[in-house]
Amino acid sequence: MLLPLIAAAFLLAGSGSAVFTDEAWNVDYHYALLGQPKQSTSFFHQPNPSSRASLVYTLSERGVLGAVNPRDGAVVWRQVLLAGASAHNASFLRAGEGQDVVISGIGSQVAAWSAADGRQAWSVDFPGPLEDVEILELVDGKDTSGAKDAVALSGGDQPVVQRLDGATGSVKWQYQLSGTDVPYQVSASTTEVFVISLHKTILGYLKLKVTSLDPVSGHKMDEHMLSSENELATADTIVTVGANSASPINAWTDSTHSVLKVNIMGTKGISSFDIEKHGGEAVERVKLHAPYHINSLSHFLVHYETATSHWAEVFHVDLKRGQVEKAYSLPKLAGRGAFSTSTSDANVYFTRVTSDQVMTVSSASHGVLGKWSVGGFNVAAANDETAEPIHAVSEVSIRGDTVSAVRSAVLLSTGDWVLLRDGSPVWSRPEMLASTVSAAFATPAEVEALVQQLEAEAHSNPIEAYIHRLTRHVQDLQRLPAIIMSLPQKVVQGFLGTSVDGDITSDSFGFHQIIACATQDGRLIALDAGNPDKVLWNQQIADLQPGQTWQPSVSSPKGGVVEISSKASAGVQYNASSGEQLVSILPIDVTADQAAQEVKYAMHDGGLEATVDSSTTWHFMPTSGERIVSLVPRPLNDPVASIGKVLGDRRVLYKYLDPNLALLVTANDAATAATFYVLNTVSGAILYSNVHTGVDLSSPISSMLSENWFTYSFTAEASGDSPKGHQLVVGELFESLVANDRGPLSSTANYSSMQTGTEPFTLTKIYQIPEPISKMAVTRTRQGITSRQLLAVLADSSAIVGIPYGVVDPRRPIGRDPTKDEQAEGLVRYSPVIDFDPRWYLNHQREVVGVKDTITSPALLESTSLVFAYGLDIFGTRLSPSFSFDVLGKDFNKFQMLATVAALAVATCVVAPLVTRKQVNTRWQFM
Amino acid sequence: MPSISHWGLFLCASVASAARLTVSIPSTPPLLPNPGTLPLSTHAVLVGPPGVRYDVPIRRDSTFVFPDVADASYLLTLHSRDYFFPPLRVDVSKATDASQQQTIQAWQTFRGNEWDNKGPNYGSGKGELQLQLQPSGHKDFYQARGGFNIIGFVKSPMILMALVSAVMIFGMPYLMDNMDPETKAEFNEMQKSSPLTGSGGAADQLQNFDLAGWMAGKGTNSASGGGGSKKR
Repeated sequence: MLLPLIAAAFLLAGSGSAVFTDEAWNVDYHYALLGQPKQSTSFFHQPNPSSRASLVYTLSERGVLGAVNPRDGAVVWRQVLLAGASAHNASFLRAGEGQDVVISGIGSQVAAWSAADGRQAWSVDFPGPLEDVEILELVDGKDTSGAKDAVALSGGDQPVVQRLDGATGSVKWQYQLSGTDVPYQVSASTTEVFVISLHKTILGYLKLKVTSLDPVSGHKMDEHMLSSENELATADTIVTVGANSASPINAWTDSTHSVLKVNIMGTKGISSFDIEKHGGEAVERVKLHAPYHINSLSHFLVHYETATSHWAEVFHVDLKRGQVEKAYSLPKLAGRGAFSTSTSDANVYFTRVTSDQVMTVSSASHGVLGKWSVGGFNVAAANDETAEPIHAVSEVSIRGDTVSAVRSAVLLSTGDWVLLRDGSPVWSRPEMLASTVSAAFATPAEVEALVQQLEAEAHSNPIEAYIHRLTRHVQDLQRLPAIIMSLPQKVVQGFLGTSVDGDITSDSFGFHQIIACATQDGRLIALDAGNPDKVLWNQQIADLQPGQTWQPSVSSPKGGVVEISSKASAGVQYNASSGEQLVSILPIDVTADQAAQEVKYAMHDGGLEATVDSSTTWHFMPTSGERIVSLVPRPLNDPVASIGKVLGDRRVLYKYLDPNLALLVTANDAATAATFYVLNTVSGAILYSNVHTGVDLSSPISSMLSENWFTYSFTAEASGDSPKGHQLVVGELFESLVANDRGPLSSTANYSSMQTGTEPFTLTKIYQIPEPISKMAVTRTRQGITSRQLLAVLADSSAIVGIPYGVVDPRRPIGRDPTKDEQAEGLVRYSPVIDFDPRWYLNHQREVVGVKDTITSPALLESTSLVFAYGLDIFGTRLSPSFSFDVLGKDFNKFQMLATVAALAVATCVVAPLVTRKQVNTRWQFM
Repeated sequence: MPSISHWGLFLCASVASAARLTVSIPSTPPLLPNPGTLPLSTHAVLVGPPGVRYDVPIRRDSTFVFPDVADASYLLTLHSRDYFFPPLRVDVSKATDASQQQTIQAWQTFRGNEWDNKGPNYGSGKGELQLQLQPSGHKDFYQARGGFNIIGFVKSPMILMALVSAVMIFGMPYLMDNMDPETKAEFNEMQKSSPLTGSGGAADQLQNFDLAGWMAGKGTNSASGGGGSKKR
């Protein structure tokens, strides 16, 4: 059944657009991102116990589990575990020593993944949210053969501890926690499983309750409360470290970070250490780093941070005496630093990464085993910002008594994830881009500067303009030698087809546009669409407190300028090329049209309200039980080349073109119905509306409006005699359906939506599509001459498809073959099912995961539209919906052209004497 | 990519009677000889009534396991980067009494057709169903450009014509030379009198066509009489 349909789709697409083999992987770019890694869920691990090659694993803030090759930074595999996760979601990632699986816990699901290829081994769902996941390295002091079991603790109404079989995920035992205590953590030593829960005292302080369980049977062995006095007000100051170290410990500080208390798990004694004040500054954070291996020495490192400096102290646990002793301290350094723990056999090594050096010490003594200076992290940052390490994970190679090499995967304050090998950066991944929430295209400031100069010449008196122009050309002359020098190289590159499309200053095609991305954590990042391999600039523009969110929106009000506005603040403008904040906003030289009145409309009390000069002009209230799902206006910059559609017989159908159109979607949850309205936003008139019943309102409803057509897609619920599945509706508005007739508008030269209410004639068609569309966009070109392509984001396939308009044209004839005239227009017979031809996939074999939105921008070439998609991954490409008719593409073979010319020249040389001889002979021949 | 956001909802409700659906992908040479080569992102989606949706990733053994499916009628879709899979309809119906298990049935379904139009049955089971689903086609993303093809080039009529005329130009003199004198004379005589090549013939007329005269509106009969003769 499917095959003929696919074949039909192929036929349809014959003339449509496609990804060409020579363009794929070249014109498009893709960052396969994970999101910013967390310290607690990142580590080096050997996916194959028999080989020494290790990968870096992380479960990021964005809920993505991934393995990264430490050699080049490429993603080996990744899985999105929780779509839409943020830094607040608790997540856990553990790998047992010598195991070929990694075990993740996020939300309420624990799952095991093959460490080498990322395929799922098993998954288990818990009734409540997960609080902790650990791996049982040893049971009863014996090393378990095969897969190691996991212990998971879940919270919620019925807190429960479960031991899960490492091979199948089946539950071996479970222990129900009773009482009102909040489960906090689970830890394991060689003989016991400890469950730590928080007990609230009458005074409102917290106490740690430790319950020890038998790892084999799950029975309770002991329970005791640690006397933390009145130190713990919140769980934030607990720095406990857990499982699988030779001696798991509990550690906490008071709220002012003046004293550190440590308890060896399983004992009741508490050691207390005063935190030294280095200088006058208050300690802001205390972190604890300890090895996660059961055989390693029971040493740990405490890391103290103030606003401007950091230092650390190393402690040893004396297991026999049950005491904790301070061994040595690492000196205070300015700036931020990151510590990481590595083990080699029983030995423990701590690696300290600061912005200018990497240093490794042994846990046993303070002697420096290896020290490398860091020249720089090779990442883009703002001028006044230095990239500082936030956290790191390291792998050390030991040769004899010295550290021969150290690899550290470091998260920087700029959001980049960098691998340092012996202090020098090997690769960096721009993980901050994974949390992009808004993006916009902007023209580079250099291009804009020339435009301004030309404008200045046009607007001054002729003599001044002439002098200005002369000086400009003289200045340009200075670049002449450089241009002449580079000429031969350019010519050679041109013939070999290896030439890039120029740099940002000499961009004749408009491919080098700047994409400004605003991220969730308050950064603004700029990329060059023509050279996307590196970040142009990256700066913190909003100082967000932890847990605070913002909704920025990026726009480019004019060339060379990026504007950020959020709910809290009015627009702030930045130079698109350098990222400098524009302090003095240049006066807008275009005087506003005084006669024009602005109609503003906004959501208000669940309805739409439009105002002119602060007086309400119209209201749109959905009927009772309905809520507004989305409102999509026609794009501001939406040029249309032709006001009509030319039919096969050269007659014209006039398009209903109105700049003030919007598509509004409302949903009725009780009736499971969705209503779609096309509104005139000036008059508030409803131009078209349609109700679909049996709509799955929990799945995405996407909509789009451009030119004189609109489209929306939804998932329909099954009912015996109707199809179930995903539908795409396309509607086109015409002034009249009679060719060469403009209907009531024919006699008017100008008209206003305020006065005349002409209603369009609307044609719609419904198509069945194979999967839901989560977001739609449309290609945009400079003049609007090029035909448009509907861009649909397919979340299930991790893809973006470009659907040619001809495929979804509402004028496709139903139930009959197209006539000659219709064929000339390219219309084909309507069939209700559209299959997405794989050749429409803009991303071809790349998998673009988690796309939230797609933006498009016209290039200088009429044929080409730039596309940029963001969300989790970053993807961009150039599209030519009507093929590249105004530029020589890669298919133009320069060698073949030269060869043809040369062959013709040779042929001419060879034939010329023959022809001359023949002509002479003809003259002499006796008639 | 799989998401597990809807998992939690149905756990508590259906612990008592868990319907388990396992979809496996068999080896289907030549299309997919080794299902182990399927990309990691391959996942299966069960879309039920509004709000009910299960999404599971591919497992190590190339299966998809829905451990716990609520009673409803579902559309099962497999999404893979490299292959198409046919959509299935999966019905999970309530057990008649508490002691019995749910019934799971699966059929092929056809997009764009009414939901009751079912295709071949893929199996049915009590409480548990294992079914095999074969890919129906390979996804081909790339369009090759029409490159330079020497045979196609030679086959084109323009080139064929050029080749024939080249043979005439180079071959005719040899042919003429090799003819015996009598035939040669006869041939020359024939050529002179032939309407195409002889003096005043069509070819001659064409060659010496008086365009200016014709444009100036000279009578068609005089033009057909031969512009060339006028010119001389």
